[in-house]
Amino acid sequence: MIPMSRTLPIPVKVASRLGAAVVAGFARVGAVVRLLFLCLRSILRLRGEQMPLMLEVTRTQIRFTALDALPLCFLTALLIGATTLLQLFGQLSGFGVESYLSQILAKLVIRELGPLLVGIVVISRSGTAMATEMANNQLSGQLEALRVNGVDPVRFLLVPRLLGCVTSVFSLIVFVDTVALLGGFFVAWLRLPVSFSAFLTALGQAIGPRELAATFFKAVIFGTSIPMICSSYALEVRRSSTELPQAVTKAAVGSLIFLLLSGAVLSLFIYV
Amino acid sequence: MSDALLALEGVTLRSPEGHLVFQGLDWRLQRGGRFHLKWVRGGGASAFLRLCCGIAVPEAGRMVLDGVRLTASYAPHPFLERGALGYVPTDGGLAVNMPLLANVALPLRFALNLGREEAQAEARLWLERAGLLDVAHLRPRVPADVQAWLASLARTAAKRPELVLLDRPPGGLDEQVRLAARDLLAQAGADPKVTMILVGGDWLADLGEPMTIIESRVLTGSQP
Repeated sequence: MIPMSRTLPIPVKVASRLGAAVVAGFARVGAVVRLLFLCLRSILRLRGEQMPLMLEVTRTQIRFTALDALPLCFLTALLIGATTLLQLFGQLSGFGVESYLSQILAKLVIRELGPLLVGIVVISRSGTAMATEMANNQLSGQLEALRVNGVDPVRFLLVPRLLGCVTSVFSLIVFVDTVALLGGFFVAWLRLPVSFSAFLTALGQAIGPRELAATFFKAVIFGTSIPMICSSYALEVRRSSTELPQAVTKAAVGSLIFLLLSGAVLSLFIYV
Repeated sequence: MSDALLALEGVTLRSPEGHLVFQGLDWRLQRGGRFHLKWVRGGGASAFLRLCCGIAVPEAGRMVLDGVRLTASYAPHPFLERGALGYVPTDGGLAVNMPLLANVALPLRFALNLGREEAQAEARLWLERAGLLDVAHLRPRVPADVQAWLASLARTAAKRPELVLLDRPPGGLDEQVRLAARDLLAQAGADPKVTMILVGGDWLADLGEPMTIIESRVLTGSQP
């Protein structure tokens, strides 16, 4: 017997696959929103006596996501700030707009590059680690065992990751922006007669309420979405350890796609 | 009838392999009951314990634990939240990224609201009773071994639960481990109100009335 899909014309097959992808996308959004709802409900039902333990786990998450990522963020931010300014200088020096370089760099870094870089670093380090750990927990039945033994896995595992990630992403964005701008200033200082005070003045002119709002909203959205998306893929692991790497890869790719999409949409809302 | 701690109403359950364990089972577990369910391969004992604590999802029917419906979702359940259930699965169900000490202390801190130092001191005490104090700083082995199962039993005993569900150990037990396990069970069940279902070999037989799962029925003690 010939499977029905083989007999279908190619446009129908393409449409069918496209439809399946859309359905899977909506299912993913549903799974992520459900996890977020569980986390928020858990935060609201948090008992005062559980706070010290929760803070302990959250602190560990922040140490891993933010503190341990500082060397990598420092290096990449410095290089990105420096190379971006080099490119800007190369492209704009013929137009006599060198005095605006600091402002252009500041807008570029604070509005787009900083949050994007932090998002990529957090996904590649913490998002994949979270997905691996959660998938392992799910596969070995630890989540169920925790729950029936009086430890709510949402409150103990998910909520600290959510809170830790939001805090870490915000802190890292501020750190990366600062380092990237300093890296840019260093290159500018090598090529142009620019003083640090003039650089700071230009920065002050470039950073307005919209830049601060963008930093805040991107930190909240990226910091919330990365642990939720990664966990949602990880919790779908059911039977075999071979599902684990697949889930981690999907978690990283899914988070990255959401990061790019949400960053673009947010920029459109704030700046256009 | 009102003193039932756990009630299964019209429950149909299949094992993870797809075998039918129960069909339309109605059963009540009375408070303070102590039962020994002898483990037989494929007999559904582990699936039955997983059902009793809300991990296994029945195809039909419902479970009521301490007067509140028990579901397999993340919905909060007061009996579970206050740490009144002690479940010891065959693989121990310990968090593999935490040392044994932290694993035993975790429910004490989370469910019983003990402070960090107090919970760790209590956990140390119970691990000593289990003969595991010298490995308390180590993480559980993967795949789980008898040590993880015993640590899980120590975790259960430490929080003095109202309902103990003990699954069989992952391998044979030597005399020393059996003694330690029996001591932990005796401590956990010191209060006569504590209810226990113990799955395992004959070494547990004197700790509870015999229980049998046969043809979608749970028979206990002198029941025909």
